[in-house]
Amino acid sequence: MGVDSMHEISGARAVIETLRQEHVKFVFGMPGGANLPIYDALLDSDIRHILARHEQSAAHMADAFGRVSGRAGVCMGTSGPGATNLVTGIATAYADSSPVVAITGQVPKAMTGRNAFQETDVIGVMTPITKYSIQPLSAAEIPSGIKKAFYIATSGRPGPVLVDIPKDVQQEVRDIPFPESVEVKGYTPYVEVDPLAVERAAEMLVKAEKPLIMGGGGIRISNAYEPFQAVSELLMAPVITTLQGKGSFPEGHPLCLGPIGMHGRAESNKLVSECDLLMAVGVRFSDRSTGTFSEFCKQAKIIHIDADPSEFNKNKQVDLYIRGDANQVLTKVYKALVRRISRRSDSNPWLARIAQVREEMKSIPAYTDYDSELSGPKIVRKMREVLPPQTILTTGVGRHQMWCEIHWRVLKPRTWITSTGLGTMGFGLPAAIGAKVAKPEVPVVDFDGDGSFMMTDNSLGTAVDEKIPIVSIIINDRSLGMVEQWQRLMYNRRFSGVKFGKSCDFVKLAEAYGAFAKRVTTLEEFGKALKEGISLDSPAVIDVPVSSEEDVFPFMPPGKSIKETVVGPPKEMAIF
Amino acid sequence: MALKILSVLVENKPGTLFRVTHMIRLMRLNIEGLTCGVTNGGDRSRITMTVNGDDATLDFLAKQLSKVIDVYEAQTYSPEEVTARELALVKLNLSSVSHLDDKRLQGARIVETSDRSITVEVIGTPSEIDRFIHRFDSSHILELARTGTTAVPKG
Repeated sequence: MGVDSMHEISGARAVIETLRQEHVKFVFGMPGGANLPIYDALLDSDIRHILARHEQSAAHMADAFGRVSGRAGVCMGTSGPGATNLVTGIATAYADSSPVVAITGQVPKAMTGRNAFQETDVIGVMTPITKYSIQPLSAAEIPSGIKKAFYIATSGRPGPVLVDIPKDVQQEVRDIPFPESVEVKGYTPYVEVDPLAVERAAEMLVKAEKPLIMGGGGIRISNAYEPFQAVSELLMAPVITTLQGKGSFPEGHPLCLGPIGMHGRAESNKLVSECDLLMAVGVRFSDRSTGTFSEFCKQAKIIHIDADPSEFNKNKQVDLYIRGDANQVLTKVYKALVRRISRRSDSNPWLARIAQVREEMKSIPAYTDYDSELSGPKIVRKMREVLPPQTILTTGVGRHQMWCEIHWRVLKPRTWITSTGLGTMGFGLPAAIGAKVAKPEVPVVDFDGDGSFMMTDNSLGTAVDEKIPIVSIIINDRSLGMVEQWQRLMYNRRFSGVKFGKSCDFVKLAEAYGAFAKRVTTLEEFGKALKEGISLDSPAVIDVPVSSEEDVFPFMPPGKSIKETVVGPPKEMAIF
Repeated sequence: MALKILSVLVENKPGTLFRVTHMIRLMRLNIEGLTCGVTNGGDRSRITMTVNGDDATLDFLAKQLSKVIDVYEAQTYSPEEVTARELALVKLNLSSVSHLDDKRLQGARIVETSDRSITVEVIGTPSEIDRFIHRFDSSHILELARTGTTAVPKG
């Protein structure tokens, strides 16, 4: 640990100074008794504080900031409830490997374990949902602790790191060393890529007659878009993605088949069972992507590339794995391929088969059969017509999100921000705010459901007060639509706890916060309202009343294999 | 399910054992024995645990543990692959042991005596300790403390 400089200041000032050294420009959070010294020091810095209305939202904002910028997002909360409110947001970031540094205040050291006011053992609470946690017990440990937090949060497989600072440590004034670099013992996020494995992968790819490539969130994390596309184009290998990896390959590209999974594209779900080689990059073979693990892609050889070695053979046994950063590994694989082959022709039996399946699938009910004017898929497609390619789309969790999975086309890197691993309702609006802060020059739209939106709708206060012009679209079915769909299809239409009453009037709610608001009843009105919404310099809410009866298809029912994907509403709804 | 030895080399600092045992709880395994001691000059500790589990779960656990920051390495062994030792302190009712050269005390070392009890120390493999304890009627054992297995791989 090289010491760069030494200053006699308070621990709280050391927090802010270290954030400044880490090039932090924004923090999302809420103050309280145990982090008052940090908030006081914040006033004297040029770091912009964005006041959340609930710490969960602050964590989602930091998470989305991290996903869009690739740098760690920072959120803050006080001790006790402030810290426990962060939990859902931190767990969301952990599940999707997003870089977040959470800084919480803690009761003074002398009060530890005495059930002091607003005391929670937040490290105990968050250990299972953080990549690491640090508790400086002296102001002198603050700069190195926070620097470690940034390093750990952003390196290797990223994740949230908690820094829990007792109030007396924030207040302590002393000589504080500021290291220029830190070392974390026992942590080796980067390793040399195994050259033999790369050669073997290239051999397997060249030999394959029906190769398929699968991209996950790891492509975004390591900015591997270019080599990923280059490998696919060289081999003329079609690309499928996970839901988190949606957009790891441009979705307008002729080789892009789209996401696989529970609500993946039908052609992707079908063709993954026909390939003879699957190269999966930055994925973890989640059950929502693969269905029954043993049935998934069992006819093919599988190559798995990931930064986290604990993912290898965890859910799916593979034939070859390569540990490393996706960008580095793919660049090496590309070079190894170029030594062996030149760009493949675009006419071969495999690509002909792909074209055939695509043609067959064009007419499935899920892609064609919409009975209402404001049908989910139609709204999503209209949205794609209206919004420029660089628009960042965030979502809540539910039917609206699944319609996006199937019908939204992600055209640019880092423009698809959604909670997949944890499936956190309430993510969309605060995530949009965090995304807009990270990239103010592009439109940011939160495509949400009423159930999700209501979980964090007070973030409208943040958007209005902080002048963060995002647009929330609420697919409003007055129901927890995704749960309703499962109850309709698998519980014989016995609807339990899913229906909302008359509340809430989202137009009035948005107006109460001072946001622009519009309710639309036709697709044309929707398009117009959306155009208007993104042109404003204030937040906007578009309420889109829809039917709760429209189910999302394709659908791979839970516990089934990917081959059992249902491509449209069955005649008898409860036949599974 | 079989008895396995889980050996984890960690950074010697607060919270590390918590992170390690949390992973074991997550996999719903019971820790049958646990030793933890400082090694390598003080900055590292070795945690040795005995757990009952199948190979797949233990492999998974070792991989997940290796990922924990502050963990240098995590390995699983079957009992045949390691040299294992355990220490037990056994406090016996003096009336049950007629004389101090009672054959049943063979292999143990007397470490403390009082007018009503005798405490002996036994070191050996876990099964040797089991056998020693079984020499006595349980009502004669006033107190018993076992350290749990510590182990190093053979060869």
